[in-house]
Amino acid sequence: MSKIVETAEIARQDPSYYQALRELLFQLADDDFIISFRGSEWLGLAPHIEEDVAYSSITQNTMGHAVMYYNLLEELGEGDANFLAHDRGASDRRNGAYLEKRNGEGKYLEEPYFDWALAVVRNYFYESFKKVKLEAISTSSYKPLANVAKKVLMEHPYHFAHWKLWIKQLQTSSEEAKKRIQNRIEEAWEEFLDVLELGNYGNEMVQHQLIAIDEETIKGNWLEEVKTVLVAMPEGPLGKKYGSGRNGEHTSDLDQALGTLAEVFQSDKTAIW
Amino acid sequence: MYNYVEDGDSKTSAYMEQDQEKYEAFMTRIEAGEKIEADDWMPADYRQALIKLISMHGISEIMGALPEKEWVPKAPTLKRKLGIMAKVQDEMGHGQLLLRVAEDLMKPYGKTREDLMEDLLNGDLKFHNVFHMPTKTWADAGMVGWLVDGAAIISQTNMLDASYGPYQRALQRICQEEVFHAQHGESIIMALAEGNDYQREILQESLNRWWPALLMFFGPSSAETTGSSKQDIMINYKIRKSTNEELRQAFLSKYLPRVFSLGLTVPDETVRYDEKEEKWIYKQPDWEEFKQIIRNKGPRSKERLRVREIAYENNRWVRQALATDPVSV
Amino acid sequence: MAKESDFYQVYEVFSRRGNKAPMQHQFSLLAPNKEMAMLMAQENFMRREEVIDVWVVRQSDIRKMTSEERQGLTNRLDNKEYRTTKGYGYLRQKWKEKEQGMLDEKEIMSWREVKRK
Repeated sequence: MSKIVETAEIARQDPSYYQALRELLFQLADDDFIISFRGSEWLGLAPHIEEDVAYSSITQNTMGHAVMYYNLLEELGEGDANFLAHDRGASDRRNGAYLEKRNGEGKYLEEPYFDWALAVVRNYFYESFKKVKLEAISTSSYKPLANVAKKVLMEHPYHFAHWKLWIKQLQTSSEEAKKRIQNRIEEAWEEFLDVLELGNYGNEMVQHQLIAIDEETIKGNWLEEVKTVLVAMPEGPLGKKYGSGRNGEHTSDLDQALGTLAEVFQSDKTAIW
Repeated sequence: MYNYVEDGDSKTSAYMEQDQEKYEAFMTRIEAGEKIEADDWMPADYRQALIKLISMHGISEIMGALPEKEWVPKAPTLKRKLGIMAKVQDEMGHGQLLLRVAEDLMKPYGKTREDLMEDLLNGDLKFHNVFHMPTKTWADAGMVGWLVDGAAIISQTNMLDASYGPYQRALQRICQEEVFHAQHGESIIMALAEGNDYQREILQESLNRWWPALLMFFGPSSAETTGSSKQDIMINYKIRKSTNEELRQAFLSKYLPRVFSLGLTVPDETVRYDEKEEKWIYKQPDWEEFKQIIRNKGPRSKERLRVREIAYENNRWVRQALATDPVSV
Repeated sequence: MAKESDFYQVYEVFSRRGNKAPMQHQFSLLAPNKEMAMLMAQENFMRREEVIDVWVVRQSDIRKMTSEERQGLTNRLDNKEYRTTKGYGYLRQKWKEKEQGMLDEKEIMSWREVKRK
């Protein structure tokens, strides 16, 4: 079976197709949105000024990707993109739980003891994963999504190269850096699995050819990539300590994030800002 | 505040005699509107004035990112989130440009960016008065983008023809980007001004709070007011063209009509344009308070320095890790 | 602990906008090595323009003209660049309704001259 769905209107006609598409779009949108929110908290606090500027461009690009997915959802009739980004509760969010994790100790306004090792490991793991998933949806049966994926892929290599270089350099530098990076890798190993998963509607996503590969293949391809970079692979299987964000299971860190990112929006939902 | 020249006055006079010829050639170039480059001969007081000006300018951009940054993750729409992020990123970028210019000037004294950061944290290097103030509401993000940046644009454009080439080139880049910043600020303000009662209320409240700091932005009108004005040397060496008061007047002329056109007021009932004198009349801000603020005794001085210090110290291991030979990629 | 100034080096950044364009000096940055310098270069100085090539050169590797050599030349960098202000173009009409002008590039760059008293 091979079908191409050209418009939102046609997608809406098949409830099973629509449901799987909607879930996939929320995964893509919420992943990019929450990780770029964490990136925006880093602004002004990076290890040196030049890196601060470079990292912020990646963050802006990534939020720009989220906007494209929210716009696709808006076209589908899910509501206004700004409301989708700012006005959905934690249990409606479909981002991987690891991606919502706080940047470290403290808050961005107060005692921001953020951890660069977490930033490096998380962003490298995420960008490696994003490449695998984007390539698999660049041939999606939903044409508007395939088009967005191709665009995002054009911007992705810089992001990927950026974090790959950081993790490579830090992994082979001072003893302290090696230790900090390795600790964050071990930690991620227990928490990253749901990022690689497709959630409750994963089978439908594959059946409807919204995505070219299933979650086992996503996981395999991702492992192939990180194997080439990690100096010491953690023992044991990948875990999802916080449950599955793909099915709406989240931590209190997401509540904190939503409270911050929607603070002004929630102060007056009728206002035009 | 300044401690970059430790060779003292005793040396200066002998040095001056010996270099009288060079000094005259230098002044001829300045008068002719030529640009001085980092490795050109320059008199010590020119170099010191530039270091003081540009390091303060650069570090103020870095510190200035913090009050606005408070609203970056909170911006109310996707477009606003992206806009303010790009804007604050630019401020960090301006800091980068300016610190590079300052670093090259400090080289003969063996000073680096590390020293500038340490001077900031130990209180030797000051940052601009406005960045010691709190940003309490989203309207403050607009106010900083519109009027604080507006004041900065007035003083930066005034140095676009500065005699020091690297600074002038950095300002050229910066002022080009400021066009976007100005419009970004206007855009936030316009939405609030045309918004509902709540939005207009936080906008007016924000302007009321920022007004004295905006007047202080340009510094006192004469040296007597705070006793440390360096405006004359800056004008003689063609680093800037106008006095503090001329810049403040220019700011009031450009922005007050726009402020009033939005139905906003300023918290000074005496403000008016005097046609005969061709200048704005306004109530002087509290210059004693200004002195306190720039001595890191402003409302948010300690907190901002603390954030900067944590960012600097907490990430030291990252910079240190890069000292070793990295892998080739 | 190493002193950062011992390994953070100044890199000069150059870029090319198109095949026929010359390499153009953008600015300089601090980085601990050339790979890192390359990674930083594009976003620090060319985040709003298309480029097809970027060079980073350690400043200490450049043989620059001496001050004396330069005196004989007219020294001027071409720094004319555009920024995207498209997203805010609607403000022009709004200000017009309020009988005010918009702060566009022409207006702002004209502020270099301030009325003298």
